[in-house]
Amino acid sequence: MNEFPLLLISFIIYILVMLSGFASSFGSKAKWSRISYSLALAGFIVQSAGLLVRTIASGHAPFTNMYESINFLSWSCVLVIIIFQRRFRLEKAWPYLWLLIVALMALVSSPLLPKNVTPLVPALQSYWLWLHVSVTLLGEAFLAVAFVASILYLAAGRSSAGNSEAQKKQDNYDLIAYRAVAAGFPLFTLGALVFGMIWASQAWGRYWSWDPKEVWSLITWLFYALYLHTRLVMGWKGKRSALIAIIGFLAALFTFFGVNYLLSGLHSYV
Amino acid sequence: MIRFLSSLKLTISLLILIILLSVIGTLIPQGEDPGFYQNYFPRWAGIILSLQLDHLYRSPLFLSLAFLFLLNILFCSLRQLPVKLKQIRGTIEFIPSEVKPAAVRRLASSFSDWFEASPDSLLAELRQRHYRVKIKETGEKKTLLAQKERVGLFGPEIVHLAIMVIIVGGLISALFSQRIELALTEGQTVDLPGKSFSLRLDRFTTDYYPDGSVKSWKSLVSILEQGQVKKQKSVEVNHPLKYDGFNFFQMSYGFDWDQTKVELEIKSGKAAVRHLTLKVGEKVQLDSGLTLNLLNFIPDFTLDRGGRPTSRSAEANNPAALVLVTREETPIYQGWLFYYHPESNRIQRQPGLEMEISLKKFEAPLFSGLEAASDPGLNLVWLGCALLFLGLLACFYLNYRQIVIGLKPGDKPVFSAHSRHNQTTFYQELERLLEVRPDSAINSDRKNEGKTK
Repeated sequence: MNEFPLLLISFIIYILVMLSGFASSFGSKAKWSRISYSLALAGFIVQSAGLLVRTIASGHAPFTNMYESINFLSWSCVLVIIIFQRRFRLEKAWPYLWLLIVALMALVSSPLLPKNVTPLVPALQSYWLWLHVSVTLLGEAFLAVAFVASILYLAAGRSSAGNSEAQKKQDNYDLIAYRAVAAGFPLFTLGALVFGMIWASQAWGRYWSWDPKEVWSLITWLFYALYLHTRLVMGWKGKRSALIAIIGFLAALFTFFGVNYLLSGLHSYV
Repeated sequence: MIRFLSSLKLTISLLILIILLSVIGTLIPQGEDPGFYQNYFPRWAGIILSLQLDHLYRSPLFLSLAFLFLLNILFCSLRQLPVKLKQIRGTIEFIPSEVKPAAVRRLASSFSDWFEASPDSLLAELRQRHYRVKIKETGEKKTLLAQKERVGLFGPEIVHLAIMVIIVGGLISALFSQRIELALTEGQTVDLPGKSFSLRLDRFTTDYYPDGSVKSWKSLVSILEQGQVKKQKSVEVNHPLKYDGFNFFQMSYGFDWDQTKVELEIKSGKAAVRHLTLKVGEKVQLDSGLTLNLLNFIPDFTLDRGGRPTSRSAEANNPAALVLVTREETPIYQGWLFYYHPESNRIQRQPGLEMEISLKKFEAPLFSGLEAASDPGLNLVWLGCALLFLGLLACFYLNYRQIVIGLKPGDKPVFSAHSRHNQTTFYQELERLLEVRPDSAINSDRKNEGKTK
């Protein structure tokens, strides 16, 4: 048995989550929101089962190549969206966040990514693989939520002038983005930088080699440091904050994809 | 100057500059020869080489930015610390803000009233909510200082200290770490410079997956002190050996081609076919007064630009052996024998030498590439990393809260309630606290109601 049918089912459910989420902004709000949320939980359970099946079948952590990593990233994003919905209420941001999930799942299902199980090279055989990659991707999932919320903030910017209801909605996007960065930044620091350094020191004998992947995670980290300083100390909010959060996440995306396909270095696996 | 060094504007500019330079460093290939840049970036080579962007992360430009960043963090923390220390001691005289929302004014009067009427019950309620409370009475003046999650106030300073520790640790690593590349064949022993022990490779094994890819490299090594085995361990990727300040890492493997054993097949006239096994540098007597000398072995034969034989790689892609045949010290033939292309061996066509020599086998001992590293900056870096994460947690998940109430007969009471995060939620928290005031008229009424029901 492999995980493909489970992933396909969760993909379809996530599309329905998104559609019912959008429906809630037109039709009977409460009903559609409830349906959307229940579907989200169902999809999450199915995708979790898929991850479990993959882990058992491959015998190693479910994030050792592009296909597995994007699948795990989308799973983490789903987890983060559900947490945010429970704790803070995402309101209008909800369906757009699912648009991101649908995009990620489309990438996971695409034939561009090889899906076969490959045995682990010696450098990857370490429990730090679990810690380093899972915490990093979980952190990036929060940053992805901040990214979507920031885009929504900018998109709402034109229409909200003078409309207090729209203004409130827009401020909510700003707050969601900040809360997501506040959770994602420590996790990213721990997973990508700290755990990465510890593992590098064990596997390669040096904790920092100025490898392109390392430099780009540092760049990503510096962008969010910029976000936090301008916001918390200089009081920037709204548009300028949103721009930094968007660029920061683009840097994170480049660290994840771009470095592998465009630059060469030590992180040649994923 | 100090104002400039501790300014946030400098922080922002430095963050942006460091980001930009780091990006450039990943776009320009690092650590190549000057000629490389002239070939591939003819227009930029001048700038790249003069700014030393070919090793950007060690260039004076990058290091001075990093140093400035360090100073910026240091001075910023030095400016913030005294202010915050004053704040937790409660020595800041609170100036009541002129315009306060009605809700806050209500809080102020309720709390100062509570403090005046029954300080003990307020104290108890605050302590129950994990506030540290201090009450000070000087003359007629009476002040209350309540604080919660004080570490949260210093979150940024902890993070900044952590970054300084990491930068200093990194600097120590860069300046004082020692790395020694060791290539050992089985049974070989090597002394570590400046240390009283030596390292011996006992066995080197490679395990494979069923599909033929490498599963693991294992070097069984012994640490020897005066001939005594002090420690024996199997060193693998991800499993280094630690001993006396050194870490030994499994880095690579390969063949020691200088130690190649070569088997040659010699057919000479009607004589029986002979097989010879010899190493580079060895000589063998042949019949009829001939001597064969193995001069060289190259695993991947090619000719360099000057037409000299050289090895393209360390892989056995085109193995070739150089032999010299002499008769009574007089060279009569010298030429290369090719493993995969025996038709190119010229000796077969050598006139006057009725002899065919071919390279039949070659065998080089496998070596294990180990790296011995000592890094005195390592512990500082780990300390910095731990502080960094704890500091970030303190920043985002500990919310410093402070309540100050000051009473002086004849004067208006002083009240301030401040929280680092989410002031509105804090006000709501205080409203709820007021509801539990035991002696408050409203509350006692409610309680009585509850009891009677």
